[in-house]
Amino acid sequence: MEYRFLMDFERQMADEFLKSIGLELENDVDETLCCFENGQMIGTCSYSKNVIKCFGIKEEYRGEGIASSLITKIQNRMFDKGIYEYFVFTLDKNVQIFKSLGFKEVAQADSVVLLEGGIADINKYLNNMLKQSGVDQTKNRAALVVNCNPFTLGHLYLIERAAMENEEVIVFVVEEDRSAFPTDIRYSLVKKGCSHLKNVVVIKGGRYIISSNTFPSYFLRKKDEKLNVYTKLDATIFGKYIAKVFNINKRYVGTEPYCDVTNEYNKAMLSVLPSYNIEVCLVERLTKDGRPVSASIVRKLLKEGKIDEVKNLVPITTFEFLNTDEGKRIIENIKRRDLPH
Amino acid sequence: MKIVNPAKAGSLESNDIFIMVFPNEKGIEIELESIVIKQFGKKIRKVIEDTLKELEVENVKVIAKDRGALDYTIKARVETAIRRAM
Repeated sequence: MEYRFLMDFERQMADEFLKSIGLELENDVDETLCCFENGQMIGTCSYSKNVIKCFGIKEEYRGEGIASSLITKIQNRMFDKGIYEYFVFTLDKNVQIFKSLGFKEVAQADSVVLLEGGIADINKYLNNMLKQSGVDQTKNRAALVVNCNPFTLGHLYLIERAAMENEEVIVFVVEEDRSAFPTDIRYSLVKKGCSHLKNVVVIKGGRYIISSNTFPSYFLRKKDEKLNVYTKLDATIFGKYIAKVFNINKRYVGTEPYCDVTNEYNKAMLSVLPSYNIEVCLVERLTKDGRPVSASIVRKLLKEGKIDEVKNLVPITTFEFLNTDEGKRIIENIKRRDLPH
Repeated sequence: MKIVNPAKAGSLESNDIFIMVFPNEKGIEIELESIVIKQFGKKIRKVIEDTLKELEVENVKVIAKDRGALDYTIKARVETAIRRAM
């Protein structure tokens, strides 16, 4: 039995192998480790940043400790690269394999489980976030989880509603680096845009607010299952851990009749959060000229060079940023890119 | 001995202990997880502390995940991790 990391041009082999067992190799994988027997691939495991994924072993070779070897070796490699926290999304039938290697279960939704290993510890992480936020844990508060790519009047409207109806509000800005506007910028625009609201605290969401990019779907049979499962898992983690640590009793979400992703999210919130004693408040989105004010419309207008039309859709703080050198660079990027985000 | 880089030793297989060490400013901090923490937690901690003392390490953060390792295994893994961290 031979274990080795694949060279980039060999990735195709791993993808074919995974496909033969009903899985697949995801595009954002950093490295792939494989196990060979007599020159034939019989098992593989990959990682992307700190997430271990695309893990599968040929049926007839299961139960021989190959899984343990693959996972241990890949963690060692990740450690050498300076990654000390490891996350795995897997089907519940594989949970024992990871648990026996020191991973701890974080949450489960349908048949998908999130586990963490290494020095990852969700409770410690969240308590640290709480301390850094300076929020008063003895008080209840309402929460919003937002992407804000960029921060618009639509987002502000939602946050102002929450601020009016609750003593304290906390806004979590999702951290993920696939958006046109980088995390630091998105966060800073939300913070600046809310600075007039004295009872609102804005913080970065941290790694346990899962963006759809972090969530792998290679093990889901139906591709459209991914959204449904990941939003439920995200909601479960929010309800089980984040809401407890930050003392959240309400979550505000905006409706958008034309967006499948938002609807899926809202459905997941509504089905999961009440069981954690969190009230879900659905608020009709702000509309201008009959259309909901959304970040995707703003990006579309920026791509078309219609920056004047953007002025009506964003707070002055966001508009001012768009006119800075950095803002202009981001707009140029949007014009050149062809991505939905 | 002074810890300069993060390092590790051991594995998560049965009867072994997985040790990760990190540079630290706040003296010796040990975080221990063990399948026999209730029966032997204190003893395991002592073996780790004694080994660190022998190696004259004063500042380190040790994360230990024990799966039933005996004393000599714990000592060996701790020493290996420390030496790799220098």
